[in-house]
Amino acid sequence: MITLKNIKKSFNKNPVLHGIDVTVNKGDVLVIVGPSGSGKTTLLRCINYLEKPDEGSISIDNFTIDEKSASKKNILTLRRKTAMVFQHYNLFKNKTVLENIMEGLLVAKKINVAEARLISMDLLRKVGLEEKANDYPTQLSGGQQQRVGIARALALKPSVLLFDEPTSALDPEMVGEVLSIIKNIANEGITMIIVTHEIDFARDVATKVIFMADGVIVEQGAPKDVLVHPKHERTKLFLKRLTPEPEYEI
Amino acid sequence: MAIVDFKFALEQVPAVLKGVPWTITIAIVAMLFGLILGLLIALCRIYKVPVLNQLSILYISFIRGTPLIVQLYVFFYGVPVLVDYLNPRLGLHIDADEIPPLMYALVAYTINTAAYQAEIFRSSINATNAGQMEAAYSVGMTTRQGLTRIVLPQALLIALPNLGNVFIGLIKATSLAFAVKVVEVLAISKIIANDGYRFIEMYLVASIIYWVLCLVCEFILFKLEKRMSRSETRMGLNASV
Repeated sequence: MITLKNIKKSFNKNPVLHGIDVTVNKGDVLVIVGPSGSGKTTLLRCINYLEKPDEGSISIDNFTIDEKSASKKNILTLRRKTAMVFQHYNLFKNKTVLENIMEGLLVAKKINVAEARLISMDLLRKVGLEEKANDYPTQLSGGQQQRVGIARALALKPSVLLFDEPTSALDPEMVGEVLSIIKNIANEGITMIIVTHEIDFARDVATKVIFMADGVIVEQGAPKDVLVHPKHERTKLFLKRLTPEPEYEI
Repeated sequence: MAIVDFKFALEQVPAVLKGVPWTITIAIVAMLFGLILGLLIALCRIYKVPVLNQLSILYISFIRGTPLIVQLYVFFYGVPVLVDYLNPRLGLHIDADEIPPLMYALVAYTINTAAYQAEIFRSSINATNAGQMEAAYSVGMTTRQGLTRIVLPQALLIALPNLGNVFIGLIKATSLAFAVKVVEVLAISKIIANDGYRFIEMYLVASIIYWVLCLVCEFILFKLEKRMSRSETRMGLNASV
């Protein structure tokens, strides 16, 4: 279980998050949607302290960290309970595909090389990239790189898997392959928090949806409540803009 | 007698070659210690370590803002003064005259080259994508692990051509080591030239020796770059197609 309490964050005195409270149960798939600049990515990055919240506490399982207890050691502990899939993949450029997945196992989990290789090959098979094991990231397409990014995150068996707009940087025809992999792992009962603009995907995969705007949670609940029958005007406006009605006949 | 006596020049080559080991020793030792010192200084600057960061800025500014020959003189005449000053105060008995000239050269060249290498490392570390370090953090690495396993290997690859330039510059800069009484290639040439007033011959011999040394270095660097950039083959710049 993940609990965020009163998360506040400002950049240069410009408030981005105004005290966010979120609870995610084990096995939940929480999807965060909202317009650009609403703070959803910042919130996600606060969960593994890539962004240091100014205030507020983060609890994962039995471990709690807040702005006062954020020592190097505690931040490391928090990060080792989470894993992130990045918008721009951020695969280690100096490592092969296989090494990318093994890296966290060797360093953070202290698993021996032989076992780490087995686990990593298994995951590569899962994302359908077995034959690319010894390639370098620059030799892969965007969609393939993101699949490796997902495998790298999965390898760590985190308490929660964080996705930061995993398909925003992809060509339209590669979005599908990445989303279907995310859907598959969602079905395995892994706790996930996903920031995305793919509303159809959100409706499909989420157990809970949060709509954020201007650094606050406007609305949250079941996907069909938030994304199909929203209560707030701001949510309605956002969804309407995503699926604009044609103003002219073609 | 020809205007340029090539026979005389050729005869003197073996004598001048005796300076090569000094040249190479100074260049390699200064380069290696410069790499370590430069990297540490670059990290102090990037992570804005208090005091050390400000000292680094001052040090780099001074070294880059003064000619190497002046630094050598300051060092050569300054160290004995410093030793004389420190001996009674620290109860030491160091004889400044006993310090071999090579020692002066090695330390002075290291101090000089480290400043340039620090700036090369700083720019190449900054040039590696910030996302690489974030990814390292996200899989549970510490800053040190992220640096040594992910960021520095990539930064080194970016830095390599510039480090090569620094090394070639160092080889040529050793020609100033006579200022601290190291008798290297140019110094030997000058001594022979002075004996028989054969200046052009001896300077030609010296220039060819430096050139050959630099050619060898260029070749080694070329091979090294090719070997190290295997992960970048699709980046276009290093592609051999």
